[in-house]
Amino acid sequence: MGETKINIGPVHPSTHGVLRLVVTLDGDTIRKVEPHIGFLHRGVEKLVETRMYMQSPSYMEKIDYVAPLSYDELYVATIEAALGIAVKERAQYVRLIQLELQRIASHLLWLGTAINDIGQLFSVFMWCFKDRDIVLSLLEEATGGRMFYVNQRLGGLNRDMAPGFDKHAYKALDYLEKRIGEYQEYLESNPIFMERMKKIGVMSKEEAISLGVTGPTLRGSGVEFDVRENYPYYVYEKLNFNTQFENSGDCFARYRVRINEMKESIRLVREALHIIPEGDAIGMPIRLIGPQPKEKEVMVRRELPRGEGMMYMVTEGQRPYRLSIRAPSFINTAILQHLPKGHRLQDLFPILASVDTVMADVDR
Amino acid sequence: MKINSEKLRETLEKMHREGYKYLVKLTAVDYTDRIEVLYFIRNLDNSKEETVRFDLSTKNPHIPTVLDLYLAADWYERELSEMFGIKIDGRNAKRLLLEKWDGKDPPMRKSFIWSKPYEGMKDAVKWAEKYKDDKDKKDGGQNVIRIGKPLK
Repeated sequence: MGETKINIGPVHPSTHGVLRLVVTLDGDTIRKVEPHIGFLHRGVEKLVETRMYMQSPSYMEKIDYVAPLSYDELYVATIEAALGIAVKERAQYVRLIQLELQRIASHLLWLGTAINDIGQLFSVFMWCFKDRDIVLSLLEEATGGRMFYVNQRLGGLNRDMAPGFDKHAYKALDYLEKRIGEYQEYLESNPIFMERMKKIGVMSKEEAISLGVTGPTLRGSGVEFDVRENYPYYVYEKLNFNTQFENSGDCFARYRVRINEMKESIRLVREALHIIPEGDAIGMPIRLIGPQPKEKEVMVRRELPRGEGMMYMVTEGQRPYRLSIRAPSFINTAILQHLPKGHRLQDLFPILASVDTVMADVDR
Repeated sequence: MKINSEKLRETLEKMHREGYKYLVKLTAVDYTDRIEVLYFIRNLDNSKEETVRFDLSTKNPHIPTVLDLYLAADWYERELSEMFGIKIDGRNAKRLLLEKWDGKDPPMRKSFIWSKPYEGMKDAVKWAEKYKDDKDKKDGGQNVIRIGKPLK
């Protein structure tokens, strides 16, 4: 029997966005996968060049709509580095708390949708959405926004955490920790889940480094690298942070890394809430004309929920001359050309789900 | 680290042997008189980072591919060639990566024209030109562009 070509997408429930995959099959075995991206290309990098520095944060949030706060923070941190603005101490803690809450929300959404992709485990999807809502409520209480926040200002925040936030947060975190433990127990004793995740899409350490994958996908292949530990920012150094990684390099390892990261984030938020100093966390109000940039070019990296995000900016007066964004999903989607080879067609979607891509982030 | 554009392969091969095996990002900046290309590479063993940069002329720029050293360069090189019109020697991708445009005028260059009307606008502009000197000229000499077909 000869080779068969089939087309998946661009609109398909399991691609979570507009991703088209042209798959060449030999019987049931995948010989080649060709991802077609670019359906959501909006030219963010070009648009930013036409705007003043503080006109862009709200647009940056739409790059990754699952974790908008992380991108907002990355962009504002880049501007702060370029303008030479120091972040207030309390604001550093508040940002860290919000970033970690955003990571939990993003990973919960991933858990629900990924497990929905591999089989008829729809209940987990509903539970994860319910729990993600608790995190979103916390973020709403802290920032005022539910989906999109635009809470970051130069040197601080627009809104500090409301009084009594820590009590609500401790309560919610206790509940979430219990729930995540339950999901793990339930999933890892489920034979369908284990069959479809273990030894599927195996990526060796050398392969992962050469392919340039990032975030939980890299750490699932035994590479102990996390921007929060290797290039610490804010107060991560003061907290007791451990990089989560697994050695087996398959879909299950990537799932495990994310579960452990959620637990680690819960711990980090608790620790930060415990030692957060009193004081002022309010940043500068948004003005079109701000201070003159002190640096000609800056490079800032952050650990986003999907992997390492990096912004390289060349400044010119009150506008970015060039902003180059390293989107974690872009480089993680590229591995779809390599990973599913030799697997059966049914394994394509667990592999796609396990790398956790957001198509808006891929195309920018 | 600033190098000569001809020494790119040589430098990266040396760095790769030294343990810089992770390509973080490949990007470029158009300074109108020159294009600067930057390779951010990292040694994951000791978290050291290095930026390899060099200048290219704006006319007919081309760089060699580094796909055999870094598999991550695959999409980065294609993105760079589409966005900046830089030819990658040793690569011939048949399909545009970030598709849905003609791919002729590199959009990230500073010479890119923003206000080009899209194809569908051309007919409307022609139509407006045709009726420019019509009786529709109201006081103040302003043109009234009618929307839809002209009424007879």
